[in-house]
Amino acid sequence: MDTVQQISPALRRRARSGLRPFVVRALVYLLLTAGCVVTLVPFLWMLGTSLKSSTEIIRLPPTLIPEQPTLQSFRTIFEDPRVPLERFFLNSTAVSVSVVALVLFTSSLAGFVFAKYQFFGKDLLFTLILATMMIPFQVTMIPMYLILVRLHLTDSLWGLVVPGATSAFGIFLMKQFIEGIPAELIDAARIDGASEFGIYTRIVLPQMGPALATLGIFQFMGTWNDYLWPLIVITTTERRTLPIMLTWYNSQHGARHDLSMAAATLVILPILIVYFLFQRWIVQGITLTGFK
Amino acid sequence: MPALRARGRLLRSQHRFAAVSLTPIMLYMMGFTLLPMVWAVVITLFRYSPTREGVFLGLGGGNPFVGLRNYLDIFSSSINGQLFRLSLKNTFIFALLVLPLNLAITLPLAVLIETVHHRLKTVFRTIYFLPTVTSLVAVSLVWGVIYNPTFGLLNLALRAVGLKGMPWLSDPKTTVLGIPLPMICLIVTYVWQDMGYNLVIFIAGLQGIPEVFHEAARVDGANSWQRFWHITVPLLRSTLTFVIVMTMLSSWQVFVIFYVMTRGGPGNLTRTLVLHIYETAFRHQEMGLAATVAMALFAIIMLTTLLQMRLLRREWEY
Amino acid sequence: MSTGSRGISRRAFLRSLICGAGGVAAATLLNGCKPAGGAQGGSTEAAVPTKVGAPAEAGTGGITLRLWSHSNPAFVKANEAAIQKWLEQRPEVQIKYEYFPYDEFIQTIQTSMAAKNEADIIEMFGSWVQSYAKGGTLSVAPDDIMSLAEARQLFYAAPLDGYVWEGKLYGFPNEYNLENGGVLVNKRMFEEAALAYPPEWESWEELVTDAKKLTRFDGETMTVAGFHYVTGDGLGFLFWEGILERGGDYFADDRVHLNLLTPQAEATTEWLVGMAQKDRVVDPMTFNPESNWVGDSFFQGLVAIGYIGPWIVPVARENHPDFADPWNYVSCPYYGEKMSFAADSGWGKVVSPNSKGIREAWEFAKFATADAANARAWNVGTGTVPALKSVAEDPTLLNDLDWLGPSLKVLPYGRYVGMLQDRDFVWYNVVATHLVEALQGQISVKEALNKMHEEANAMIDSKIG
Repeated sequence: MDTVQQISPALRRRARSGLRPFVVRALVYLLLTAGCVVTLVPFLWMLGTSLKSSTEIIRLPPTLIPEQPTLQSFRTIFEDPRVPLERFFLNSTAVSVSVVALVLFTSSLAGFVFAKYQFFGKDLLFTLILATMMIPFQVTMIPMYLILVRLHLTDSLWGLVVPGATSAFGIFLMKQFIEGIPAELIDAARIDGASEFGIYTRIVLPQMGPALATLGIFQFMGTWNDYLWPLIVITTTERRTLPIMLTWYNSQHGARHDLSMAAATLVILPILIVYFLFQRWIVQGITLTGFK
Repeated sequence: MPALRARGRLLRSQHRFAAVSLTPIMLYMMGFTLLPMVWAVVITLFRYSPTREGVFLGLGGGNPFVGLRNYLDIFSSSINGQLFRLSLKNTFIFALLVLPLNLAITLPLAVLIETVHHRLKTVFRTIYFLPTVTSLVAVSLVWGVIYNPTFGLLNLALRAVGLKGMPWLSDPKTTVLGIPLPMICLIVTYVWQDMGYNLVIFIAGLQGIPEVFHEAARVDGANSWQRFWHITVPLLRSTLTFVIVMTMLSSWQVFVIFYVMTRGGPGNLTRTLVLHIYETAFRHQEMGLAATVAMALFAIIMLTTLLQMRLLRREWEY
Repeated sequence: MSTGSRGISRRAFLRSLICGAGGVAAATLLNGCKPAGGAQGGSTEAAVPTKVGAPAEAGTGGITLRLWSHSNPAFVKANEAAIQKWLEQRPEVQIKYEYFPYDEFIQTIQTSMAAKNEADIIEMFGSWVQSYAKGGTLSVAPDDIMSLAEARQLFYAAPLDGYVWEGKLYGFPNEYNLENGGVLVNKRMFEEAALAYPPEWESWEELVTDAKKLTRFDGETMTVAGFHYVTGDGLGFLFWEGILERGGDYFADDRVHLNLLTPQAEATTEWLVGMAQKDRVVDPMTFNPESNWVGDSFFQGLVAIGYIGPWIVPVARENHPDFADPWNYVSCPYYGEKMSFAADSGWGKVVSPNSKGIREAWEFAKFATADAANARAWNVGTGTVPALKSVAEDPTLLNDLDWLGPSLKVLPYGRYVGMLQDRDFVWYNVVATHLVEALQGQISVKEALNKMHEEANAMIDSKIG
């Protein structure tokens, strides 16, 4: 019934005009719903598997839905002294939040300068920044690792934060946004005696809410889900991040699908919560920036 | 020039602010992008492992200068050459299949979603985007269990309808259109994970098309298929270009699902460039060789980006 | 609906969330800066980086050493027990223990050695040791800790030889690593097939005859593998053993390169391929190193006879606690008159030259490997074959490890596989990879041998070049 009420007015107009459009409509909804099922089934399978008991997990043929759902696998992970889960969680949070804070600061400041100041070599510098966007991380990861070795930053959370403190894309994005801030606003502040940094903090930053949110969310998700770099940099257990813990746990219990799916659920959950909270900005952000 | 009109003192303070805030950021950025890039090029000229002692910056001594030998090596018939070309081929297969598959799903899906009521539109968009935000490692683990020949969902479903199960990720023989089955499986997983992103961009692009075009076409008697081909697609051209290039760029760099789900197996059939770089550098400690392979990846990405610029420029000329 | 108030409360909630996260981040990073209590700190200092390899001096003469191993749960427990015992005797030398999954373990050793912040003591696989010793990243055992001559008295040659490079001793083995001589057998399946149990095979032919009767199909799909030997480790062991027992050798005359273009290598490969393709005792498509690995599939009731080392038992008991079928580890046959096989040198302890407590590190390595009681406890905990002669020769060992008999019986016939330059590359990327391809019928036996021969030697050339 709900669906009928929610069909757009234009559609209702057309739906009244004949049977064929109605069939088409129904097909469209059927198709979209089927797509949703395909999208959701892996998540449900993950959840279902994580709720199976250790005996049910090896039953043949496998059960589709857990017959006696149990939180046994989650309990096993939480009680495993070798998996300091809250430590991994803290590490992931610390690294992601620090990177986000640094990127937002450096990108907005540099973006501001590029957008609103004239100086010699500006275009060249900006082109240079754009050029670095073309260098993929996988090409520089080997020397980057060697640099961290020389800075004694391997096996340290700083090793995850330091290389990510600036973002060429962030600067580009911020410049585009700040160019939209009227010059009169800035000139007025200058006449009122504001310092240049004061203009940045009191005039520019408050205008940047949505742009900062977008950049921040994507940077957060990117850093949170990052796998290859922490895999290379971190060795000590207590300094690992959640995605590393995931494969680490999995290869230890390769055949224990209940445990590895429970671990996957635990990693996916926080990011889903962030997603549902910030959904609007995420979708807006993509459409605005095409950022990934 | 506005700057000339400003008073000298103010201009100086502006210059000072620009210099003081931008210089450290620029230096920092270059330190973590250009410097590694230059270093990467230098390393390709050495047989290099940081575990061996060098003379200067780890180079020389135990890590001898080999000139262009690493480059020759990856184009020779040696095992390194074979593995490089194999991973290059696999990466190409992957990227060239992901692209049409992704577009064939996301563009029509976006058009369909665009036609439904906006409340439901949000619901659909939220669900379809879900896999994109989740951790790729977790996604890989989940799909690994789905493909499991004995306990997996896929074979469970196939057997339920009376079909035969398959060893999805470890079958080196079965091919679909000449593509090994494990590669197909990884492509499916990747597209499932990645499509929400393009979908959202397409929806945004579609919203940018003024309704009058469709109305006009409808008045002219065009059916929905004709409208899709003759109005939607041409007007989405810049969005399409963008999506194509971004999808290509990210599929050249694919790593996690391959590392977690197959580790390049069976028999190197799913070894990709980045997996090959990682293993060569950090498992076998041949960093000079690995950096050389990375240069090939860089070249491919440069070409893709230049292609994008060329296409977009033509776009602007319209 | 008062959307306004909802918006505000949501924004307030988000703000508090962000503030909270910021606080957590700051606390975690800062916490990483100071040498945290108990844990070894000092590596996350940004402004003044301290050397990570340096153990924190705790009080007068106190020292903390780090120990790394891979994350096999039974190994972890055994090492924890050894540390516990050590601390009772040497409380001033603390040990901080960390472990990694196999793949990440190798990468971690390599990347940390480059940064010189590897652990003081590493539980390394014996067949890797020579490669690292050659690279100069391991310390030599001091003579007064143990001389090479003493070590030869104490340990079997097969495991010890992996720890010796150019006449110097680079560590002590805990384990004699072999998968030869024993197989897992599933009693229920033997009884259902009306076969004698426990089986006593005189030859491979007899084993294969049984295996054929044990194999089960559902249409074309193999549901139970009669004899599953298609594993990354197992194929290597069977391949070397087959060559040696046919009177050949896999090393070339220079003892550095490999020669796999021998009639013996070809006969062995033919035999391995035949069991899969002619006898069909295993379907290498579904039963291989990647899917249905024998260490799991046997304990999931999918395999009747499984070729794997005795170390799998504690792992399987941990990973498959609910496997109900009765099973045993029994002797498996060999080819020809006399058994002759190549063993991997096994897991043991090596010491980093960057350690600030090299002396203490070596003392711990000796404590954990050469002390009979400790060595025995470690082998019992991990279900591994002892490298220490006195432990293996003690008949009471079988009271604790009742499945170890078949392995112990064959120890005199084994020798160290030799310096392969990069053992994992030869074993997994070359031998197992191409043998699996041949077993699956993708390439011929000849092609497999050519590929193995070329690729292994190309790698060896690049390492000695």
